[in-house]
Amino acid sequence: MYRRLLASLLRWTLRLDVGINRVYPADFNPLYYTGGLSNLFLTILILSGLFLFFYYVPSYNEAYTTVQYISERVPYGQIIRGIHRYSADGFMIVILLHFFRNWFTERFRFSRDEPWISGMMLLVFAGFIGVTGYVLVWDQRAELLVVMTGNALAAIPAVGGWLRNLLFGGPGLTNLLLPRMLFLHVGPAVLLYVLLWWHYVRLRHPKVWPPAVWTLFSLGVVLLLSGLIPAASQPQASPTTPPRQLAVDWLFLLPYVSLKYLTPLWLIVLATVIIVYGLYIPYQLPETRAEMGLRESGIAQVIDANCTGCELSYYDCPYNAIVMAPSPHPGVTKAAQARKLLAIVLESRCVECGICIGACPFEALELPHFLEQDVQAKVLTACRS
Amino acid sequence: MTGVDNDRAAAYGMWIAILSLVSLVCVIGIAWAELTSTGHPAHRLLGGGLIGVVLLAYSFILLFLRKGGFTGV
Repeated sequence: MYRRLLASLLRWTLRLDVGINRVYPADFNPLYYTGGLSNLFLTILILSGLFLFFYYVPSYNEAYTTVQYISERVPYGQIIRGIHRYSADGFMIVILLHFFRNWFTERFRFSRDEPWISGMMLLVFAGFIGVTGYVLVWDQRAELLVVMTGNALAAIPAVGGWLRNLLFGGPGLTNLLLPRMLFLHVGPAVLLYVLLWWHYVRLRHPKVWPPAVWTLFSLGVVLLLSGLIPAASQPQASPTTPPRQLAVDWLFLLPYVSLKYLTPLWLIVLATVIIVYGLYIPYQLPETRAEMGLRESGIAQVIDANCTGCELSYYDCPYNAIVMAPSPHPGVTKAAQARKLLAIVLESRCVECGICIGACPFEALELPHFLEQDVQAKVLTACRS
Repeated sequence: MTGVDNDRAAAYGMWIAILSLVSLVCVIGIAWAELTSTGHPAHRLLGGGLIGVVLLAYSFILLFLRKGGFTGV
């Protein structure tokens, strides 16, 4: 059932690839650069965050006014605040696209479980950092978020109260709240780079940056939105009149909306189940055994008709054994007809590891004397040893 | 180049020219917004938005340069 669903999702993902490749050249396809785009947005967030950090004061009396000061008095402060705000949305969107694309194309197999797990952690931390960012503004939404989070944490048996005190400095609104939120906003942002290192360490050719077309496009959209729809605070938080309505940001505050339908304890349970399942995804599919035993192997072969020139095998080969060359003719399959590049295997470098076969979603590579499940079994055995 | 390629290049070339013109107008707008921002702080929002339009135009210029066959593989 799960395997059939995954096969169906893979087909739809590849159809989307083919559709986008008709509009954009294959090496400009944004879906091939969701990881690089995440890096771009993270860099924008760090730089704009540094600018805001110079002005921000984490105290009840000054947090709101310093944010207003940045918006109204600092030259281009409103634009920089908007850049920070919309880059966070962009960051979350491309991370989710990256997550779903790699899930549907099964790019968690063949020893890619480490990038998958580090990627899951990056996703969770990105969401957490986004929520702490909303609290730092210290408007009415921030106050409501603190109250709702405190209630949800307190619902956790045994450690709930301790967790709430750790995050907020104690029950209710304490003077420690905003300094801790600032620390929890900046600290995990630094940790993101540690996780990114872990994410990349096993990848030979990670695409860490998108092409110039998408760098300019992303920056342009963020700046345009900052000018057209300036990031704005709600009225200042006031403990005497706590707000009742949550202004929703669907990307970061979705769990808080679900509190309308779930008790805090059920929300915590549901979030835990989703995260644990996400971490389990690479291990969910059953191991396949070699059906035909060990045979004489040969170097990887490119199936000319199927190659789309997407470069995925080039980026994933840890031995630099695959190069991309201008394609002398179009491929045969629908996806390969518009290709500009063709993968070529360098015989002297290929070690017949089969990683390229796992990398290629178009079935354009094979080890001549191995079935795909043979390669998978070989890689799994090697990993276990 | 075939006739079809020439037609395609000409079409993309025209779009590149239009986008370059849009960029020039936006750059003038950015300068105007900055010069008049002393009494009108909201003009800086306009300036920031126009920088975004320039970057978007540049991104499409790069795309059309490639699709028109002026650059690329």
